[in-house]
This record gives sequence, structure tokens and C-alpha cells, in this order.
Amino acid sequence: MLNFAARRLLAAIPTLLVVTLLVFALVRLLPGDPARLQLGEEATPQALTELRHQMGLDRPVAVQYLQWLADLSHLNLGRSLQDHASVAGLIAQKLPTTFELSVLSLLIAVALALPAGIFSALRPGSVTDRLVTLLALSGISLPSFFLGILLVYLFSVQLAWIPASGYVDLSENPALNLKLMLLPAVTLGVGSGAVLTRFLRGSLLEVLSQDYVRTARAKGITGHFVVVKHALRNALIPVVTVLGLQLGGLLGGAVVTEQIFSVPGFGRLLVDAVFTRDLPVIQGMVLTSAALVLVVSFVVDLLYGMIDPRVRYA
Amino acid sequence: MKRTLTALSLLLALSAASAQTLTVGLDADPPRLDPALSTAFVDRQVMNQIFDKLVDVNENLKIVPMVAKSWKVTNGGLTYTFKLNTGIRFSDGTPLDAAAVKYSIERNMTLDGSARKGELGSVKDVAAPDAATVVITLKAPYGPLLAVLSDRSGMIVSPTAAKKAGADFASGPVGSGPFTFVSRKRQDNITLKANTGYWRGKPSLDTLVYRPFPDGDVRVANLLSGAVQVITPVDPKDIATIQKNPKLDVDTFQGLGFQGVWMNVTRPPFNSKLVRQAFSATVERDAINKVVFLNTVKPAAGPFPPGTPAYSAAIKAPQGDVALARKKLAQAGKANVSFTLLTSPGAVNAQLAQLYQAMAAQAGFTVKIETVEFGTLLDRADRRNYDAVMLGWSGRPDPDGNIYDFFHTGGSNNQAGYSDPGIDALLEKARAQNAMSARVATYNVALGKILDDAPYVFTYFSSNTVGVSKSLTGLKLVPDGILRFSTADLK
Repeated sequence: MLNFAARRLLAAIPTLLVVTLLVFALVRLLPGDPARLQLGEEATPQALTELRHQMGLDRPVAVQYLQWLADLSHLNLGRSLQDHASVAGLIAQKLPTTFELSVLSLLIAVALALPAGIFSALRPGSVTDRLVTLLALSGISLPSFFLGILLVYLFSVQLAWIPASGYVDLSENPALNLKLMLLPAVTLGVGSGAVLTRFLRGSLLEVLSQDYVRTARAKGITGHFVVVKHALRNALIPVVTVLGLQLGGLLGGAVVTEQIFSVPGFGRLLVDAVFTRDLPVIQGMVLTSAALVLVVSFVVDLLYGMIDPRVRYA
Repeated sequence: MKRTLTALSLLLALSAASAQTLTVGLDADPPRLDPALSTAFVDRQVMNQIFDKLVDVNENLKIVPMVAKSWKVTNGGLTYTFKLNTGIRFSDGTPLDAAAVKYSIERNMTLDGSARKGELGSVKDVAAPDAATVVITLKAPYGPLLAVLSDRSGMIVSPTAAKKAGADFASGPVGSGPFTFVSRKRQDNITLKANTGYWRGKPSLDTLVYRPFPDGDVRVANLLSGAVQVITPVDPKDIATIQKNPKLDVDTFQGLGFQGVWMNVTRPPFNSKLVRQAFSATVERDAINKVVFLNTVKPAAGPFPPGTPAYSAAIKAPQGDVALARKKLAQAGKANVSFTLLTSPGAVNAQLAQLYQAMAAQAGFTVKIETVEFGTLLDRADRRNYDAVMLGWSGRPDPDGNIYDFFHTGGSNNQAGYSDPGIDALLEKARAQNAMSARVATYNVALGKILDDAPYVFTYFSSNTVGVSKSLTGLKLVPDGILRFSTADLK
């Protein structure tokens, strides 16, 4: 197990190195000059030259890349071109918010998917199954920007139950924080929940048709016990994989949802950085996202062993 | 849980009622709250509450006293002598005197990366002969100087705070304005509190919070739900929705900027003056105002909006004329001209581009619309890698700011690549004139030629639109679009 963990962590280093090269190159290929965007209407040629020099953009690209790598080796992600704020600081400020949002939305997703997927798989072809399938398909098809605006319209504008947007730190005021995070979490959770329901249903149906389940039933074990104790555990393996992928995606920034609800998270920072060509911020954030996805998939791999004792980390 | 939440909301509501907090929704997060480094319009919304300026502009765009109580221009427009109000202090206690004004202007002129160097380029020297007198000497007469000093170049920063903070002044700006900076969380909020010792009287509002909502629908939803009490700008399509709400209102007032289309004069098809004139002739300004803006903008005939000093009623916005456009194309020896119109994302831009396309098609133009993200659009416009591009200007109180850099050879906003020595001479002459009437006469001569050469189609003058709660009073609406909250009050 320890060996496995160590090998996985070592293998992550070359992956991250490739990510640094890719993100650095892609960001430089973006049309648009950070200095021009920062100066906007005030972009006189003299001001542009001065600012480009100040931002270090007049140095050869290879030098800029090596400098970035050298800084990275000291865990220094650089400073924002916008306001000189430390990129690591900005990420540290935004990540907990996005992490909270991701966890909440996954909780909602699991709370929706577990009962829906199980009920649906137990009675395939029934009215309940068809209804669940229809709802799950709608959930997958409904774009988050539409669902988000719909929820704001209903709960904030019409019913005035929840503020349309806003954010308070969890540590500052937990009750208000949860209230404000509810709509964005539901917006994200519905989509993930729908995907999970489909996977759980498919996976459970497959497991339920296997011999050992029939054997268990033949032994006289009740249906409820068979499903929970025998079938579900096996059916969860692909679901956990999907859950991990969803979490990785969410941590990369729930861009649209954060924009709609003005949640000051990772996604909004990234969009803002792309629009202003804040190169160090984009680079730092993409790298962090990649690292997070690696961590999540690593954790998922470890979870396999807990769910399925047949998995061995040789 | 439910009870806790109810109690909490009640507490919040009560605290909001006792301490007057006004929340303002903006369309972007102000990037840099430093008068020298600021480059975004939205910065000015917040900085105008934190900093006092040497002079200000009023609702009629007249230059009015602020920190300077009076001034005189002597020596053929080369010397500006300002007499300052006395007894003013910055919120950190530092006295605001002539030395602080001199420091602020010189900081704008010299700070690394200052975006004010261009507009203060004519300044030779700033002197503070006594605590209440500032003398600015120019290298050459520069008519727009007072207007420039009514904006970021004239904002007075606390020398103590600015020297201490260095390049990080934007994260803790200190001025002498009606509100003082408390905190900011990027992309979430900027919080200011009333400057209780404000020399022009303590503001009625206790706290002023700015929140960014880049999406127009989200902005309006927040106003409708009561989460914010003011939003600016309002998308044209949302104006009726807000007006239907008995608690809300929309203020629409003339802005300083213009909008339209640049034609690249350095390459075909718009290197032909006849083709440019033909495309210009297809533009039906009234239709644009009606269809896209629901009658909230004014048709533009030039760069100077109505109500600004250089506006001339004699220059009328032409009606769309398909026959004239066809005739011009025929004179150019072309029956059909194809070009790509570059624009950036957004519902208004998409509608506008489609209208231009449809109007031009009637005269024999085939227009392909290409939508690129704004940074890419600017890049391509600057490199002149386009045929036609939709790009406008937020506007400046002084006419020079709306014309010089656009049509002067090599001007920083001359995206068409337009160059005419005669126009250059006229624009330089107007800049050196001090009497507005003389400047306007010079501009009118230049405009006659520019409109005929048609490197740019002026289409409309945008309006400032502000959605407000009716419980807010005393808000001053100045054409520069900056909301001044020093005299605002929430009932």
C-alpha cells in the first residue's frame, strides 16, 4: 500500500512538468497582450512599452518559462499582473470556497442519486424507473446557467427566501454561509446527481443479474439485505470513479455557477484571469487544478481497496 | 435551524436599518484603486468616493471647485495657479495642503507604470509656493488640462500612505473623500465607510459596498431581489422590467462616449474612400436606437455627444441611404463588396452586428460577422488585422479626449490607421487653444473632413443607465457616469 502510494506520487511529478509546459505554451498562444488589456483606453505606445517591461513580457519566452519553473521549485507561483497579489495567496483565498461548494454539491448529488438509482434498478421498466430515468436525463441536459437563473428567479426574486447572491465565509457566519451556498450547490448538485443516478442504476442492474446475487437470494436472504450488503458494494466501484471525476471537475472551478451566484471562488478568478490575460494567475491556477485532479484520482484509487477487498496494491 | 435562520435574517435586516448600508452592483470588479495605475472606467466609480480631486465636473460638465477653491490661467495658457481650501485632512490624519497636491500630481507623472503620464505630458513643473497655492507650469498650452484634473490625474492621495505602501497603494488607498476604504475581497466586494470628518459634511450613508456582477441578468436579479440598491449599467432589455417594479426606478442620462465601427483604411476593401462612404451610408441610426436600444440612445453624427462643450447641432446624423451607398459602390467600380465585421460577445453586440449586416446587404455588401473575445478584438484592432471592427469610447469631459488620439496620425486609439497631415495640424491647433469657442470652431473644420473621409462610422451616443431603489435620494447624475454618493441618503 505504502509502496503503491509512493510510486503514484512520484509518477505525478513528470505529469505536472508536462502540464507546466502545456499551460505555459497555451497561455502564450492566446491572442491579446496583457499590457494592452491592463491599460485599456490609456494604452499609449510609451505606456505599453513601460508596462510590458515591468511585467517582464519583453524577455525571451524560454527565459520566462525557466524563471517560472525556478520559482515553482521554491513553491513560488509568482504575482498577479493585475494587482501584484501573490498567486498562491489568491488561490489559497479562493480554494476553500470552491472546495466547500464542491463538497456541498456532491453531498446533494449523492443524496439524490443513491435512492433514485437504487429504486430505479430494483424495478427496471416500472413507472418509478421511467420517471427517474426521465428526471436524470433532464438533469444531465439542463445547462447549469439556465437552472441557476431559474432558481434565482424562483427563490430570490419571486419568493424572496434566499438572497440572489452574496458570500460570507463559513468561519464568519456558518448559518448564513450555508443559506447563501444552497442555490449554487443545488445548481451543481443536480447535474452531478443525474450523472451518478444513471451510473448507479446501470451498475446495480448489472450486479443484480450476476450469479452470486441469485445464489444469495436462493439461500433465502431478503431482497433488502442482498442489495445493501452484497450488490451495492460491488455496484459502487464505477460510481466512485465517476464521483472522483466529478469532484476533480468541480475543483477545477464551477465557472458558470460561480459567475451566476457571484461566489468568489476558483472559477471566477480563472475567468477573470483569462479575460485580463493575467498569465501568472492562469498558469498557477491550471497547475493547481491539475495537481488537485491527480490528488483526487489518487484518493479514489485508495478508496477502491476499501470498497472492494479484492483490489490489491501490488 | 429554520428559527435560527429567521432570527438571523431579522438581525441582519435590523442592523441594515440602523446603520445605513448602500450596496452598489457594478459590471466589473475594479482592478486597481490607485489614481496613477488605474486604467479601468469602473475603478473611477470607487475612487471618486475615496479621493477628492483638485477640481470636479458638475451635471452640466462645467469645471467646478473641489480641493481648489479658485484658479486662474495666465501666461498665454502656460501657467495655472490654484488656490486651495484649507484645513482638509486625509483620513489618516495627514493634512491636505499644496505639498500633497504637488506630490500627487508628480506621482501620477513619474510612478512606474502610471497610466496618467500621457494626459499629464504637457506639464513641465508643479510648484507649491505656500501651503494653499499650487502652480502648474506647462511646456505648451493645453486646453484640456482642467478636465484632466477633474478625473484621476487630479485625485489627491495621502503622501504618507502612498510613500509607505509603494506599489501596493491600491490595496489600501487613502484619500480625503467622503468615504474611506475599509476592505476588499477580490471579485466579491469593496467596502467603504463614511468619512465622519469629511470637510464638506459627513455623508448620510454609513457604509458603501460595491459588488461586481459581470452578467447583466444577474445584476438585475440582485436589484429586483433587494440584495443591492443601485446597479449600473442596466441592459436596455431590462429597463422595462425595472420600471414595472413600484420600488425601483431607472435613471437614463447622456454619457460622454460614442460607439460605431472602424474601417481599416490600410487594406482592401476599406482603403477605398468610396467604399467607406458606401458602408457609412447604409447605417440606419434610428433603426439601431429603436431595435437594439429601445430608444435609450441618441444617433451620433460625430464624436461629441449633445450637452458636451464641442457638440454642434449643425452636424446632423445622416439617415440611411441605400441609393447613395449603391451609387458610391458603382463609382468605386464595384457591385458587391465582401468584408468581415469583428465584434465581441454579448447580446447587444450580436444584435448590432446583425443589423449592420442586414443594412449593408441592401446596398450590395456581403458582411461576415466574426465574434472574438474582447482581448482578442483589441489585439487585432491594434495590429490592424481586421476589415471592420465595432469599437467605441467611454468618453472624456474635454473634447480633445474624444478626438485627438482617434484621428491624429499614429494616435493610440487610431485603429483605422487613418492619417491626414491637415487633420493632424487642426487637432494640434485645437489642443493649444484655450477658449472653448475657438477650439470648437477648429474641431468643426476637422470633423468636416473626417466625416467625409469616413474612417469611422459614428453610430450612437450611449447613455448612462442606473437602476435605483426609490428609497435612495440625493444621487447626483453627472454625464461622466460616475455616481457620487457624498450627498446620497437612504430612506
